[in-house]
Amino acid sequence: MLKCSLCGRRAVYDRRYAGVLLCDRCLAKSVESRFRRAISEHKLLSPGERVAVAISGGKDSIVCLHLLADYCRWRNCKLVAITVDEGIKGYRDRSLPIARENAELLGVEHFVVSFRDAFGATLDRIVQLARRRRTGLNPCTYCGVMRRSLLNQAARELGADKLATAHNLDDEVQAIMLNYVRADLSRLHRLGPIYSPREGFVPRIKPLREIPEKEIALYALLRGLKVHLDTCPYAGGIHIEIRDFLNKLEANHPNTKFMILRMFDRLKPELTRCTPRFEVKMCELCGEPTSTNICKACELLKQLGLSKRRKRLIC
Amino acid sequence: MPRIVVRVKVFGQRRDRRLFLPARARVLDLLERLGYNPQVVVVRRNGKVVVEEEGLASGDVIEIIPVVTGG
Repeated sequence: MLKCSLCGRRAVYDRRYAGVLLCDRCLAKSVESRFRRAISEHKLLSPGERVAVAISGGKDSIVCLHLLADYCRWRNCKLVAITVDEGIKGYRDRSLPIARENAELLGVEHFVVSFRDAFGATLDRIVQLARRRRTGLNPCTYCGVMRRSLLNQAARELGADKLATAHNLDDEVQAIMLNYVRADLSRLHRLGPIYSPREGFVPRIKPLREIPEKEIALYALLRGLKVHLDTCPYAGGIHIEIRDFLNKLEANHPNTKFMILRMFDRLKPELTRCTPRFEVKMCELCGEPTSTNICKACELLKQLGLSKRRKRLIC
Repeated sequence: MPRIVVRVKVFGQRRDRRLFLPARARVLDLLERLGYNPQVVVVRRNGKVVVEEEGLASGDVIEIIPVVTGG
């Protein structure tokens, strides 16, 4: 039996990038302390703030919800949860009850906003239309843009000071690499533990940013949290290729992901300096904040003959 | 050469299978044989989460849980 390098109990995880074996207790303690350290180091939350957390029912968001619930009790913050129901048959309809169940368990108020209500079409329908019209865009493009738009609107309507998302180390490093590959400087400089653009946008925080995906999964499993482990049926494309490439690198060269993150964090002030700040406008079609005359969500919907409804998401 | 036999279940798949491995095989060897990167799975041996360097014994029931689900 292999033993924990810190306490001698039975090891459950080989943290190769740090050269230590960890037992269930030491791993949980480490995940919790990294979460709290991220909040204090980057000043993600202040006592008494109202935080909205985006939860899908997947392992990352459920772990984020549980850790935030503990933190908010301690720091006297008010926590609410938001789920975006994109309308993915056989996937989101299975994760949504799990999201609801976890929020109920913790006594966290939970709101569900849907693509169908906001845009008049589910993601399944949007993908169908996009294929028919040969837009050349993949489902993740529609989903990402529209989900971000709804999350921001819902968080703002709920009066949230911050919007927490469950992006982990793997997600963040994949996003860094993806933006390098696409030479997208404007998206690259927005990455980081906190992104607070301008008025109308709720500052987005990522308290799990320095925790590897596998450690979050183990934390959920060892704490017995109920999570949804299925893969999105639309997952694919270059994003997945980058994920697999990074996982292969990490397996052969432990610590690669952290090194990419650290290097990016060192470069970020320079990136921000050379990226002009945008002026906030109101989208001419839906009234949501944007840097252009028409927001990206409305632009994508327009191509498909759809439009965003001008109405409150949270009634 | 002596061999061991283990039963392998993959989360989300209906069928499990029996696998023959060399006597001193570790969890890592099993994952390599099946083409899994240890980065993306959690392994339970007889119901308990184990590290990949842990050795295997004949009759072990191995569960492989893919945990990298993002898209």
